[in-house]
Amino acid sequence: MGAYVGTILCLIVINFLVPRLMPGDPIDALVAQSSETFMFGDDSRASLEAYYGIDRPLPQQFGHYLVQLGRGDLGRSIATNAPVRDELARRLPWTLLLIGTSLVLATAVGLLAGVHSGWRRGRTMDRILLVALLAVREFPPFLLGSLLLVVFAVKLDWLPLFGGETPFSSSYSFFERIVDVGQHLLLPALVLTVGLAAGTFLLMRAGMVSELGADHLLLGRAKGLRERTLKYRYAARNALLPVVSLTALQLGFVVTGDVLIERVFAYPGLGGLIFDSIRARDYPTIQGAFLLVAISVVSFNALADVLYRRLDPRTAA
Amino acid sequence: MSRTKASGLLIIGGTLVGLLVIMAVFAPLLTAHDPTAISGQALESPSADHWMGTDIPGRDIFAQLVYGTRASLAVALLGASLAITGAISIGVLPALIGGRADAAAARVVVFLLALPGLPLLILIGSLAGGSNVALILMIGLIGAAPNARILRSQTLTLRQRGYITVARGFGGGPIYVLRRHVVPGLGPLIVVGFVNWAGISIALEAGLSFLGIGDPTAVSWGRTLNRALEQQSIYFSDMWTWWVLPAGLAITLAVLGFTFIGVGLEPTFNPRWARTWLRAT
Repeated sequence: MGAYVGTILCLIVINFLVPRLMPGDPIDALVAQSSETFMFGDDSRASLEAYYGIDRPLPQQFGHYLVQLGRGDLGRSIATNAPVRDELARRLPWTLLLIGTSLVLATAVGLLAGVHSGWRRGRTMDRILLVALLAVREFPPFLLGSLLLVVFAVKLDWLPLFGGETPFSSSYSFFERIVDVGQHLLLPALVLTVGLAAGTFLLMRAGMVSELGADHLLLGRAKGLRERTLKYRYAARNALLPVVSLTALQLGFVVTGDVLIERVFAYPGLGGLIFDSIRARDYPTIQGAFLLVAISVVSFNALADVLYRRLDPRTAA
Repeated sequence: MSRTKASGLLIIGGTLVGLLVIMAVFAPLLTAHDPTAISGQALESPSADHWMGTDIPGRDIFAQLVYGTRASLAVALLGASLAITGAISIGVLPALIGGRADAAAARVVVFLLALPGLPLLILIGSLAGGSNVALILMIGLIGAAPNARILRSQTLTLRQRGYITVARGFGGGPIYVLRRHVVPGLGPLIVVGFVNWAGISIALEAGLSFLGIGDPTAVSWGRTLNRALEQQSIYFSDMWTWWVLPAGLAITLAVLGFTFIGVGLEPTFNPRWARTWLRAT
Protein backbone atom coordinates (compact mmCIF):
# COMPACT_ATOMS: atom_id res chain seq x y z
CA MET A 1 0.00 0.00 0.00
CA GLY A 2 2.88 2.28 0.86
CA ALA A 3 4.23 1.79 -2.64
CA TYR A 4 1.07 3.28 -4.12
CA VAL A 5 1.17 6.35 -1.88
CA GLY A 6 4.82 6.75 -2.84
CA THR A 7 3.91 6.47 -6.51
CA ILE A 8 1.24 9.15 -6.22
CA LEU A 9 3.65 11.51 -4.45
CA CYS A 10 6.18 10.80 -7.15
CA LEU A 11 3.64 11.55 -9.88
CA ILE A 12 3.02 14.92 -8.26
CA VAL A 13 6.75 15.64 -8.29
CA ILE A 14 7.02 14.50 -11.93
CA ASN A 15 4.11 16.72 -12.84
CA PHE A 16 5.87 19.64 -11.18
CA LEU A 17 9.36 18.97 -12.54
CA VAL A 18 8.84 17.78 -16.12
CA PRO A 19 7.75 21.11 -17.59
CA ARG A 20 10.58 22.86 -15.76
CA LEU A 21 13.21 20.40 -16.99
CA MET A 22 12.19 20.54 -20.62
CA PRO A 23 14.10 22.75 -23.03
CA GLY A 24 12.34 26.09 -23.22
CA ASP A 25 9.53 26.89 -20.82
CA PRO A 26 5.78 27.43 -21.03
CA ILE A 27 6.34 31.15 -21.46
CA ASP A 28 8.15 30.42 -24.73
CA ALA A 29 4.98 28.91 -26.11
CA LEU A 30 2.92 31.72 -24.64
CA VAL A 31 4.92 34.54 -26.19
CA ALA A 32 5.88 32.72 -29.40
CA GLN A 33 5.07 34.70 -32.51
CA SER A 34 2.76 31.99 -33.72
CA SER A 35 0.68 31.93 -30.55
CA GLU A 36 -2.51 33.88 -30.04
CA THR A 37 -1.10 35.46 -26.90
CA PHE A 38 1.97 36.77 -28.71
CA MET A 39 3.64 39.56 -26.77
CA PHE A 40 6.52 41.77 -27.63
CA GLY A 41 9.52 42.67 -25.51
CA ASP A 42 11.43 41.27 -22.57
CA ASP A 43 9.44 43.28 -20.03
CA SER A 44 6.23 41.47 -20.77
CA ARG A 45 8.12 38.20 -20.60
CA ALA A 46 9.46 39.05 -17.14
CA SER A 47 6.04 40.09 -15.93
CA LEU A 48 4.57 36.84 -17.23
CA GLU A 49 7.29 34.91 -15.40
CA ALA A 50 6.40 36.74 -12.24
CA TYR A 51 2.70 36.14 -12.86
CA TYR A 52 3.19 32.39 -13.18
CA GLY A 53 5.75 32.41 -10.35
CA ILE A 54 8.52 30.76 -12.34
CA ASP A 55 11.11 33.44 -11.54
CA ARG A 56 11.45 32.17 -7.97
CA PRO A 57 13.82 29.40 -6.77
CA LEU A 58 12.68 25.84 -7.43
CA PRO A 59 11.97 24.70 -3.82
CA GLN A 60 9.85 27.80 -3.25
CA GLN A 61 7.95 27.11 -6.48
CA PHE A 62 7.35 23.54 -5.35
CA GLY A 63 6.00 24.68 -1.99
CA HIS A 64 3.65 27.09 -3.73
CA TYR A 65 2.61 24.33 -6.14
CA LEU A 66 1.78 21.97 -3.28
CA VAL A 67 -0.27 24.61 -1.46
CA GLN A 68 -2.23 25.29 -4.65
CA LEU A 69 -2.74 21.58 -5.25
CA GLY A 70 -3.95 21.17 -1.68
CA ARG A 71 -6.61 23.78 -2.38
CA GLY A 72 -7.59 21.89 -5.52
CA ASP A 73 -6.25 24.68 -7.69
CA LEU A 74 -4.77 23.31 -10.92
CA GLY A 75 -4.10 26.67 -12.51
CA ARG A 76 -5.76 28.24 -15.51
CA SER A 77 -6.00 26.93 -19.04
CA ILE A 78 -3.82 28.86 -21.48
CA ALA A 79 -6.31 28.24 -24.27
CA THR A 80 -9.55 29.27 -22.57
CA ASN A 81 -8.26 31.06 -19.46
CA ALA A 82 -10.84 29.13 -17.43
CA PRO A 83 -9.72 27.26 -14.31
CA VAL A 84 -8.41 23.82 -15.31
CA ARG A 85 -10.38 22.27 -12.47
CA ASP A 86 -13.69 23.47 -13.90
CA GLU A 87 -12.86 22.15 -17.34
CA LEU A 88 -11.93 18.75 -15.88
CA ALA A 89 -15.15 18.69 -13.86
CA ARG A 90 -17.15 19.48 -16.99
CA ARG A 91 -15.53 16.66 -18.99
CA LEU A 92 -15.32 14.01 -16.30
CA PRO A 93 -18.99 12.87 -16.34
CA TRP A 94 -18.74 12.02 -20.06
CA THR A 95 -15.68 9.87 -19.50
CA LEU A 96 -17.24 8.20 -16.47
CA LEU A 97 -20.33 7.41 -18.54
CA LEU A 98 -18.25 5.93 -21.34
CA ILE A 99 -15.90 3.96 -19.08
CA GLY A 100 -18.66 2.78 -16.75
CA THR A 101 -20.84 1.51 -19.57
CA SER A 102 -17.96 -0.29 -21.23
CA LEU A 103 -16.71 -1.87 -18.05
CA VAL A 104 -20.15 -3.20 -17.06
CA LEU A 105 -20.79 -4.52 -20.57
CA ALA A 106 -17.33 -6.02 -20.94
CA THR A 107 -17.47 -7.76 -17.58
CA ALA A 108 -20.93 -9.20 -18.28
CA VAL A 109 -20.04 -10.39 -21.78
CA GLY A 110 -16.58 -11.64 -20.80
CA LEU A 111 -17.88 -13.56 -17.79
CA LEU A 112 -20.75 -15.27 -19.58
CA ALA A 113 -18.69 -16.13 -22.65
CA GLY A 114 -15.79 -17.30 -20.49
CA VAL A 115 -17.95 -19.57 -18.33
CA HIS A 116 -19.58 -21.06 -21.37
CA SER A 117 -16.36 -21.42 -23.35
CA GLY A 118 -14.38 -22.97 -20.51
CA TRP A 119 -17.14 -25.40 -19.54
CA ARG A 120 -17.49 -26.59 -23.11
CA ARG A 121 -13.80 -26.44 -23.89
CA GLY A 122 -12.74 -27.49 -27.36
CA ARG A 123 -16.22 -27.30 -28.88
CA THR A 124 -16.92 -25.17 -31.94
CA MET A 125 -18.39 -22.30 -29.93
CA ASP A 126 -15.34 -22.21 -27.69
CA ARG A 127 -12.97 -22.07 -30.65
CA ILE A 128 -14.94 -19.33 -32.38
CA LEU A 129 -15.06 -17.20 -29.23
CA LEU A 130 -11.37 -17.77 -28.53
CA VAL A 131 -10.14 -16.82 -31.99
CA ALA A 132 -12.58 -13.92 -32.38
CA LEU A 133 -11.78 -12.31 -29.03
CA LEU A 134 -8.03 -12.85 -29.37
CA ALA A 135 -8.01 -11.31 -32.84
CA VAL A 136 -10.19 -8.38 -31.91
CA ARG A 137 -8.07 -7.58 -28.86
CA GLU A 138 -5.07 -6.86 -31.06
CA PHE A 139 -7.04 -4.43 -33.20
CA PRO A 140 -5.89 -0.88 -32.49
CA PRO A 141 -8.88 1.07 -31.18
CA PHE A 142 -8.59 3.78 -33.81
CA LEU A 143 -8.93 1.32 -36.67
CA LEU A 144 -11.90 -0.50 -35.14
CA GLY A 145 -13.49 2.85 -34.29
CA SER A 146 -13.02 4.22 -37.80
CA LEU A 147 -14.49 1.10 -39.39
CA LEU A 148 -17.54 1.19 -37.12
CA LEU A 149 -18.01 4.88 -37.91
CA VAL A 150 -17.92 4.25 -41.64
CA VAL A 151 -20.42 1.40 -41.44
CA PHE A 152 -22.91 2.62 -38.84
CA ALA A 153 -22.64 6.40 -39.05
CA VAL A 154 -21.96 6.98 -42.75
CA LYS A 155 -23.11 4.04 -44.86
CA LEU A 156 -26.11 3.00 -42.77
CA ASP A 157 -26.58 6.39 -41.13
CA TRP A 158 -28.06 4.80 -38.01
CA LEU A 159 -25.84 6.50 -35.48
CA PRO A 160 -24.28 9.95 -35.08
CA LEU A 161 -20.75 10.52 -36.36
CA PHE A 162 -19.18 12.38 -33.46
CA GLY A 163 -19.67 14.11 -30.13
CA GLY A 164 -21.45 13.17 -26.93
CA GLU A 165 -24.85 14.65 -27.74
CA THR A 166 -26.59 16.58 -30.50
CA PRO A 167 -25.73 20.29 -30.30
CA PHE A 168 -28.50 22.44 -28.83
CA SER A 169 -30.26 19.34 -27.60
CA SER A 170 -31.38 21.18 -24.45
CA SER A 171 -34.75 21.73 -26.12
CA TYR A 172 -35.28 17.97 -26.23
CA SER A 173 -37.49 16.27 -23.70
CA PHE A 174 -35.80 14.26 -20.96
CA PHE A 175 -36.48 10.99 -22.71
CA GLU A 176 -35.26 12.24 -26.09
CA ARG A 177 -32.04 13.39 -24.49
CA ILE A 178 -31.41 9.99 -22.96
CA VAL A 179 -31.88 8.34 -26.34
CA ASP A 180 -29.63 10.95 -27.95
CA VAL A 181 -26.81 10.48 -25.44
CA GLY A 182 -27.21 6.71 -25.72
CA GLN A 183 -26.88 6.82 -29.49
CA HIS A 184 -23.68 8.84 -29.22
CA LEU A 185 -22.38 6.51 -26.53
CA LEU A 186 -22.98 3.25 -28.38
CA LEU A 187 -20.03 3.07 -30.79
CA PRO A 188 -17.24 4.37 -28.54
CA ALA A 189 -18.49 2.16 -25.72
CA LEU A 190 -18.52 -0.81 -28.09
CA VAL A 191 -14.88 -0.31 -29.11
CA LEU A 192 -13.81 0.01 -25.49
CA THR A 193 -15.92 -3.01 -24.48
CA VAL A 194 -14.39 -5.26 -27.11
CA GLY A 195 -10.86 -4.67 -25.86
CA LEU A 196 -11.84 -5.20 -22.24
CA ALA A 197 -14.12 -8.19 -22.69
CA ALA A 198 -11.29 -10.24 -24.21
CA GLY A 199 -9.22 -10.02 -21.03
CA THR A 200 -12.10 -11.01 -18.78
CA PHE A 201 -13.07 -13.79 -21.15
CA LEU A 202 -9.59 -15.33 -21.27
CA LEU A 203 -9.14 -15.24 -17.52
CA MET A 204 -12.58 -16.64 -16.80
CA ARG A 205 -12.13 -19.34 -19.40
CA ALA A 206 -8.74 -20.37 -18.03
CA GLY A 207 -10.22 -20.43 -14.52
CA MET A 208 -13.11 -22.64 -15.65
CA VAL A 209 -10.77 -25.00 -17.49
CA SER A 210 -8.55 -25.43 -14.45
CA GLU A 211 -11.65 -26.16 -12.35
CA LEU A 212 -12.89 -28.86 -14.72
CA GLY A 213 -11.02 -31.77 -13.14
CA ALA A 214 -11.34 -30.53 -9.55
CA ASP A 215 -12.35 -32.97 -6.82
CA HIS A 216 -15.28 -30.96 -5.52
CA LEU A 217 -16.81 -31.02 -9.01
CA LEU A 218 -16.40 -34.78 -9.17
CA LEU A 219 -18.03 -35.09 -5.78
CA GLY A 220 -20.85 -32.80 -6.85
CA ARG A 221 -21.38 -34.86 -9.95
CA ALA A 222 -21.38 -38.06 -7.89
CA LYS A 223 -24.04 -36.53 -5.65
CA GLY A 224 -26.14 -36.08 -8.77
CA LEU A 225 -26.18 -32.29 -8.82
CA ARG A 226 -27.56 -30.64 -11.90
CA GLU A 227 -25.17 -29.46 -14.63
CA ARG A 228 -26.24 -25.85 -14.09
CA THR A 229 -25.43 -25.98 -10.41
CA LEU A 230 -22.04 -27.49 -11.08
CA LYS A 231 -21.28 -24.95 -13.79
CA TYR A 232 -22.29 -21.76 -12.02
CA ARG A 233 -22.25 -22.51 -8.29
CA TYR A 234 -19.19 -24.74 -8.23
CA ALA A 235 -16.81 -24.04 -11.12
CA ALA A 236 -17.63 -20.43 -11.99
CA ARG A 237 -17.64 -19.37 -8.37
CA ASN A 238 -14.02 -20.36 -7.88
CA ALA A 239 -12.93 -19.09 -11.28
CA LEU A 240 -14.48 -15.70 -10.54
CA LEU A 241 -11.83 -14.72 -8.02
CA PRO A 242 -9.06 -13.45 -10.28
CA VAL A 243 -11.63 -11.72 -12.50
CA VAL A 244 -12.61 -9.37 -9.68
CA SER A 245 -9.14 -7.96 -9.35
CA LEU A 246 -8.70 -7.96 -13.13
CA THR A 247 -11.74 -5.71 -13.42
CA ALA A 248 -10.19 -3.25 -10.99
CA LEU A 249 -6.91 -3.42 -12.92
CA GLN A 250 -8.81 -2.85 -16.13
CA LEU A 251 -10.19 0.37 -14.72
CA GLY A 252 -6.63 1.62 -14.92
CA PHE A 253 -6.14 0.27 -18.41
CA VAL A 254 -9.44 1.56 -19.72
CA VAL A 255 -8.49 5.14 -18.91
CA THR A 256 -5.65 4.94 -21.41
CA GLY A 257 -7.74 3.31 -24.12
CA ASP A 258 -10.31 6.01 -23.50
CA VAL A 259 -7.92 8.77 -24.61
CA LEU A 260 -7.50 7.24 -28.08
CA ILE A 261 -11.14 6.32 -28.53
CA GLU A 262 -12.47 9.71 -27.53
CA ARG A 263 -10.24 11.23 -30.19
CA VAL A 264 -11.70 8.97 -32.89
CA PHE A 265 -15.28 9.78 -31.92
CA ALA A 266 -14.62 13.40 -30.87
CA TYR A 267 -16.21 12.46 -27.57
CA PRO A 268 -16.40 15.38 -25.13
CA GLY A 269 -14.71 13.61 -22.19
CA LEU A 270 -11.24 13.78 -20.68
CA GLY A 271 -9.60 12.03 -23.63
CA GLY A 272 -10.99 14.63 -26.00
CA LEU A 273 -9.78 17.36 -23.64
CA ILE A 274 -6.28 15.89 -23.55
CA PHE A 275 -6.20 15.75 -27.33
CA ASP A 276 -7.44 19.33 -27.68
CA SER A 277 -4.90 20.63 -25.21
CA ILE A 278 -2.03 18.79 -26.91
CA ARG A 279 -2.98 20.55 -30.11
CA ALA A 280 -3.31 23.93 -28.42
CA ARG A 281 -0.13 23.37 -26.36
CA ASP A 282 -2.23 24.10 -23.33
CA TYR A 283 0.28 22.88 -20.74
CA PRO A 284 -1.68 23.60 -17.53
CA THR A 285 -4.63 21.59 -18.86
CA ILE A 286 -2.42 18.71 -19.99
CA GLN A 287 -0.82 18.66 -16.53
CA GLY A 288 -4.14 18.81 -14.70
CA ALA A 289 -5.60 16.04 -16.83
CA PHE A 290 -2.43 13.99 -16.36
CA LEU A 291 -2.64 14.30 -12.60
CA LEU A 292 -6.30 13.28 -12.54
CA VAL A 293 -5.84 10.34 -14.91
CA ALA A 294 -2.56 9.14 -13.39
CA ILE A 295 -3.82 9.25 -9.82
CA SER A 296 -6.98 7.37 -10.73
CA VAL A 297 -4.98 4.68 -12.54
CA VAL A 298 -2.76 4.20 -9.50
CA SER A 299 -5.74 4.17 -7.16
CA PHE A 300 -7.51 1.51 -9.22
CA ASN A 301 -4.36 -0.61 -9.18
CA ALA A 302 -4.21 -0.25 -5.41
CA LEU A 303 -7.88 -1.21 -5.23
CA ALA A 304 -7.18 -4.32 -7.32
CA ASP A 305 -4.43 -5.27 -4.90
CA VAL A 306 -6.62 -4.81 -1.84
CA LEU A 307 -9.54 -6.69 -3.39
CA TYR A 308 -7.33 -9.58 -4.32
CA ARG A 309 -6.00 -9.89 -0.78
CA ARG A 310 -9.46 -9.66 0.75
CA LEU A 311 -10.93 -12.27 -1.54
CA ASP A 312 -8.06 -14.72 -1.44
CA PRO A 313 -6.62 -14.96 2.08
CA ARG A 314 -3.83 -17.18 0.79
CA THR A 315 -2.09 -14.21 -0.83
CA ALA A 316 -2.05 -12.27 2.41
CA ALA A 317 0.36 -14.72 4.01
CA MET B 1 -1.58 -30.36 -31.58
CA SER B 2 -0.40 -27.50 -29.47
CA ARG B 3 2.96 -27.73 -31.23
CA THR B 4 1.58 -27.23 -34.71
CA LYS B 5 -0.63 -24.41 -33.53
CA ALA B 6 2.29 -22.61 -31.89
CA SER B 7 4.62 -22.99 -34.84
CA GLY B 8 1.82 -21.89 -37.17
CA LEU B 9 1.59 -18.65 -35.22
CA LEU B 10 5.36 -18.37 -35.40
CA ILE B 11 5.32 -18.69 -39.19
CA ILE B 12 2.58 -16.07 -39.63
CA GLY B 13 4.28 -13.70 -37.22
CA GLY B 14 7.68 -14.26 -38.78
CA THR B 15 6.29 -13.62 -42.25
CA LEU B 16 4.61 -10.39 -41.18
CA VAL B 17 7.72 -9.05 -39.46
CA GLY B 18 9.88 -10.22 -42.35
CA LEU B 19 7.72 -8.27 -44.78
CA LEU B 20 8.05 -5.19 -42.60
CA VAL B 21 11.83 -5.48 -42.58
CA ILE B 22 11.87 -5.84 -46.37
CA MET B 23 9.64 -2.79 -46.74
CA ALA B 24 11.84 -0.77 -44.40
CA VAL B 25 15.09 -1.76 -46.09
CA PHE B 26 13.91 -1.40 -49.67
CA ALA B 27 11.65 1.60 -49.12
CA PRO B 28 13.35 3.75 -51.79
CA LEU B 29 12.85 0.98 -54.36
CA LEU B 30 9.17 0.50 -53.53
CA THR B 31 8.14 4.06 -54.14
CA ALA B 32 9.58 6.84 -56.25
CA HIS B 33 8.16 9.57 -54.01
CA ASP B 34 9.67 11.27 -50.99
CA PRO B 35 7.11 10.92 -48.15
CA THR B 36 7.84 14.43 -46.86
CA ALA B 37 7.93 16.24 -50.19
CA ILE B 38 4.94 17.69 -51.98
CA SER B 39 4.66 15.61 -55.11
CA GLY B 40 1.17 16.32 -56.37
CA GLN B 41 -2.07 18.24 -55.88
CA ALA B 42 -3.69 18.15 -52.45
CA LEU B 43 -6.14 15.29 -51.81
CA GLU B 44 -5.60 13.47 -55.09
CA SER B 45 -7.39 10.15 -55.54
CA PRO B 46 -5.28 7.04 -56.15
CA SER B 47 -3.66 6.97 -59.57
CA ALA B 48 -0.81 5.17 -61.32
CA ASP B 49 1.56 7.79 -59.97
CA HIS B 50 0.12 8.07 -56.45
CA TRP B 51 -1.08 4.58 -55.52
CA MET B 52 -2.88 5.77 -52.41
CA GLY B 53 -3.49 9.35 -53.42
CA THR B 54 -2.07 12.38 -51.66
CA ASP B 55 -2.74 14.17 -48.38
CA ILE B 56 -3.43 17.83 -47.73
CA PRO B 57 -0.33 19.64 -48.93
CA GLY B 58 0.02 16.94 -51.61
CA ARG B 59 2.40 14.37 -50.13
CA ASP B 60 2.24 10.81 -51.40
CA ILE B 61 0.35 8.58 -48.91
CA PHE B 62 1.79 5.30 -50.19
CA ALA B 63 5.30 6.67 -49.64
CA GLN B 64 4.30 7.57 -46.07
CA LEU B 65 3.10 4.02 -45.57
CA VAL B 66 6.33 2.51 -46.92
CA TYR B 67 8.69 4.83 -45.06
CA GLY B 68 6.51 4.63 -41.94
CA THR B 69 7.73 1.04 -41.59
CA ARG B 70 11.15 2.42 -40.74
CA ALA B 71 9.77 4.55 -37.91
CA SER B 72 7.80 1.63 -36.46
CA LEU B 73 10.67 -0.84 -36.66
CA ALA B 74 13.11 1.67 -35.19
CA VAL B 75 10.80 2.31 -32.25
CA ALA B 76 10.27 -1.44 -31.84
CA LEU B 77 13.99 -2.16 -31.84
CA LEU B 78 15.02 0.74 -29.59
CA GLY B 79 12.07 0.46 -27.21
CA ALA B 80 12.54 -3.28 -26.74
CA SER B 81 16.34 -3.05 -26.39
CA LEU B 82 16.03 -0.35 -23.76
CA ALA B 83 13.32 -2.27 -21.92
CA ILE B 84 15.38 -5.46 -21.79
CA THR B 85 18.62 -3.69 -20.86
CA GLY B 86 16.75 -1.86 -18.12
CA ALA B 87 15.11 -5.08 -16.96
CA ILE B 88 18.49 -6.81 -16.69
CA SER B 89 20.01 -3.96 -14.71
CA ILE B 90 17.12 -3.56 -12.23
CA GLY B 91 15.91 -7.17 -12.20
CA VAL B 92 18.72 -9.61 -12.87
CA LEU B 93 21.88 -7.91 -11.61
CA PRO B 94 20.54 -6.96 -8.16
CA ALA B 95 19.06 -10.45 -7.77
CA LEU B 96 22.54 -11.89 -8.33
CA ILE B 97 24.18 -9.53 -5.87
CA GLY B 98 21.41 -10.13 -3.34
CA GLY B 99 21.10 -8.41 0.02
CA ARG B 100 20.23 -4.73 0.19
CA ALA B 101 20.75 -4.10 -3.51
CA ASP B 102 18.12 -6.72 -4.31
CA ALA B 103 15.66 -5.37 -1.78
CA ALA B 104 16.10 -1.83 -3.09
CA ALA B 105 15.79 -2.90 -6.73
CA ALA B 106 12.64 -4.88 -5.95
CA ARG B 107 11.12 -1.70 -4.54
CA VAL B 108 12.08 0.27 -7.64
CA VAL B 109 10.38 -2.37 -9.81
CA VAL B 110 7.17 -2.23 -7.76
CA PHE B 111 7.21 1.54 -8.03
CA LEU B 112 7.80 1.56 -11.80
CA LEU B 113 5.06 -1.04 -12.31
CA ALA B 114 2.58 1.27 -10.64
CA LEU B 115 3.38 4.21 -12.95
CA PRO B 116 0.62 4.83 -15.45
CA GLY B 117 2.26 4.35 -18.85
CA LEU B 118 0.32 6.16 -21.53
CA PRO B 119 -0.61 9.22 -19.42
CA LEU B 120 3.07 9.64 -18.55
CA LEU B 121 4.04 9.30 -22.19
CA ILE B 122 1.45 11.90 -23.14
CA LEU B 123 2.70 14.34 -20.49
CA ILE B 124 6.38 13.97 -21.31
CA GLY B 125 5.84 13.66 -25.04
CA SER B 126 3.72 16.77 -25.32
CA LEU B 127 6.00 18.85 -23.12
CA ALA B 128 9.16 17.62 -24.85
CA GLY B 129 7.92 19.33 -27.99
CA GLY B 130 9.06 17.93 -31.30
CA SER B 131 11.55 15.37 -29.99
CA ASN B 132 11.10 11.62 -30.26
CA VAL B 133 14.15 10.80 -28.13
CA ALA B 134 12.34 11.41 -24.84
CA LEU B 135 9.42 9.28 -26.05
CA ILE B 136 11.55 6.28 -26.99
CA LEU B 137 13.44 6.53 -23.69
CA MET B 138 10.11 6.55 -21.84
CA ILE B 139 8.76 3.58 -23.81
CA GLY B 140 11.90 1.66 -22.83
CA LEU B 141 11.66 2.74 -19.20
CA ILE B 142 8.03 1.68 -18.92
CA GLY B 143 8.90 -1.70 -20.40
CA ALA B 144 11.75 -2.30 -17.98
CA ALA B 145 9.50 -2.95 -14.97
CA PRO B 146 7.27 -5.81 -16.20
CA ASN B 147 10.24 -7.54 -17.82
CA ALA B 148 12.38 -7.04 -14.71
CA ARG B 149 9.73 -8.77 -12.62
CA ILE B 150 9.70 -11.85 -14.86
CA LEU B 151 13.48 -12.01 -15.25
CA ARG B 152 14.08 -11.47 -11.54
CA SER B 153 12.00 -14.44 -10.42
CA GLN B 154 13.71 -16.64 -13.00
CA THR B 155 17.13 -15.40 -11.83
CA LEU B 156 16.25 -16.25 -8.25
CA THR B 157 15.51 -19.85 -9.22
CA LEU B 158 18.63 -20.01 -11.42
CA ARG B 159 20.74 -18.79 -8.52
CA GLN B 160 19.92 -21.92 -6.57
CA ARG B 161 21.28 -24.18 -9.31
CA GLY B 162 24.45 -26.11 -8.59
CA TYR B 163 26.57 -24.80 -11.47
CA ILE B 164 26.02 -21.20 -10.46
CA THR B 165 26.87 -21.93 -6.84
CA VAL B 166 30.04 -23.62 -8.08
CA ALA B 167 30.94 -20.67 -10.32
CA ARG B 168 30.48 -18.28 -7.41
CA GLY B 169 32.43 -20.59 -5.14
CA PHE B 170 35.39 -20.33 -7.51
CA GLY B 171 35.25 -16.58 -7.12
CA GLY B 172 33.15 -15.55 -10.13
CA GLY B 173 31.84 -11.99 -9.65
CA PRO B 174 28.22 -11.04 -10.41
CA ILE B 175 29.05 -9.67 -13.86
CA TYR B 176 30.97 -12.83 -14.81
CA VAL B 177 28.18 -15.09 -13.56
CA LEU B 178 25.64 -12.92 -15.35
CA ARG B 179 27.43 -13.11 -18.67
CA ARG B 180 28.57 -16.72 -18.48
CA HIS B 181 25.63 -18.47 -16.88
CA VAL B 182 22.60 -16.33 -16.15
CA VAL B 183 22.02 -14.63 -19.50
CA PRO B 184 22.14 -17.96 -21.38
CA GLY B 185 19.77 -19.40 -18.78
CA LEU B 186 17.44 -16.45 -19.15
CA GLY B 187 17.80 -16.39 -22.93
CA PRO B 188 14.34 -17.66 -23.86
CA LEU B 189 12.60 -15.27 -21.47
CA ILE B 190 14.70 -12.39 -22.77
CA VAL B 191 13.81 -13.20 -26.38
CA VAL B 192 10.09 -13.48 -25.62
CA GLY B 193 10.17 -10.29 -23.55
CA PHE B 194 11.99 -8.47 -26.33
CA VAL B 195 9.54 -9.54 -29.02
CA ASN B 196 6.51 -8.72 -26.88
CA TRP B 197 7.81 -5.30 -25.98
CA ALA B 198 8.70 -4.60 -29.61
CA GLY B 199 5.02 -5.07 -30.48
CA ILE B 200 3.87 -2.94 -27.58
CA SER B 201 6.35 -0.20 -28.55
CA ILE B 202 4.87 -0.07 -32.04
CA ALA B 203 1.34 0.22 -30.65
CA LEU B 204 2.43 2.94 -28.20
CA GLU B 205 4.24 4.97 -30.85
CA ALA B 206 1.26 4.68 -33.19
CA GLY B 207 -1.12 5.80 -30.45
CA LEU B 208 1.05 8.76 -29.48
CA SER B 209 1.67 10.03 -32.99
CA PHE B 210 -2.04 9.49 -33.66
CA LEU B 211 -2.69 11.94 -30.82
CA GLY B 212 -0.22 14.36 -32.40
CA ILE B 213 2.59 13.84 -29.92
CA GLY B 214 6.19 13.70 -31.07
CA ASP B 215 7.99 15.09 -34.08
CA PRO B 216 5.33 16.71 -36.31
CA THR B 217 7.46 16.27 -39.43
CA ALA B 218 8.20 12.59 -38.80
CA VAL B 219 6.85 9.98 -41.21
CA SER B 220 4.91 7.41 -39.23
CA TRP B 221 1.64 5.50 -39.57
CA GLY B 222 0.12 7.13 -36.52
CA ARG B 223 1.00 10.56 -37.92
CA THR B 224 -0.69 9.69 -41.22
CA LEU B 225 -3.85 8.72 -39.32
CA ASN B 226 -3.60 11.88 -37.25
CA ARG B 227 -3.61 14.04 -40.39
CA ALA B 228 -6.37 12.01 -42.01
CA LEU B 229 -8.71 12.44 -39.07
CA GLU B 230 -8.16 16.20 -39.15
CA GLN B 231 -10.38 16.13 -42.25
CA GLN B 232 -13.94 16.53 -41.06
CA SER B 233 -15.31 14.88 -44.17
CA ILE B 234 -12.89 11.96 -44.22
CA TYR B 235 -15.65 9.35 -43.92
CA PHE B 236 -18.04 10.90 -46.38
CA SER B 237 -15.99 10.26 -49.47
CA ASP B 238 -13.97 7.19 -50.31
CA MET B 239 -10.89 8.99 -49.02
CA TRP B 240 -10.78 6.88 -45.85
CA THR B 241 -10.21 3.71 -47.90
CA TRP B 242 -6.77 4.87 -48.99
CA TRP B 243 -5.90 7.31 -46.22
CA VAL B 244 -7.17 5.69 -42.99
CA LEU B 245 -7.49 2.00 -43.80
CA PRO B 246 -3.97 1.13 -45.07
CA ALA B 247 -2.18 2.92 -42.22
CA GLY B 248 -4.55 1.39 -39.67
CA LEU B 249 -4.04 -2.08 -41.13
CA ALA B 250 -0.28 -1.60 -41.22
CA ILE B 251 -0.26 -0.84 -37.48
CA THR B 252 -2.52 -3.82 -36.77
CA LEU B 253 -0.43 -6.25 -38.81
CA ALA B 254 2.85 -5.02 -37.35
CA VAL B 255 1.59 -5.41 -33.78
CA LEU B 256 0.01 -8.78 -34.62
CA GLY B 257 3.25 -9.99 -36.21
CA PHE B 258 5.25 -9.41 -33.04
CA THR B 259 2.47 -10.74 -30.80
CA PHE B 260 2.26 -13.95 -32.84
CA ILE B 261 6.00 -14.50 -32.64
CA GLY B 262 5.88 -13.93 -28.89
CA VAL B 263 2.96 -16.31 -28.32
CA GLY B 264 4.47 -18.82 -30.75
CA LEU B 265 7.85 -18.83 -29.01
CA GLU B 266 6.55 -19.21 -25.50
CA PRO B 267 5.60 -22.93 -25.55
CA THR B 268 8.85 -23.98 -27.22
CA PHE B 269 10.86 -22.05 -24.67
CA ASN B 270 8.84 -22.68 -21.59
CA PRO B 271 7.65 -26.29 -21.21
CA ARG B 272 5.57 -25.45 -18.16
CA TRP B 273 3.68 -22.84 -20.08
CA ALA B 274 3.21 -25.28 -22.96
CA ARG B 275 1.40 -27.64 -20.66
CA THR B 276 -1.03 -25.02 -19.43
CA TRP B 277 -1.57 -23.91 -23.00
CA LEU B 278 -2.29 -27.50 -23.98
CA ARG B 279 -4.69 -27.87 -21.09
CA ALA B 280 -6.43 -24.64 -21.91
CA THR B 281 -6.97 -25.58 -25.56
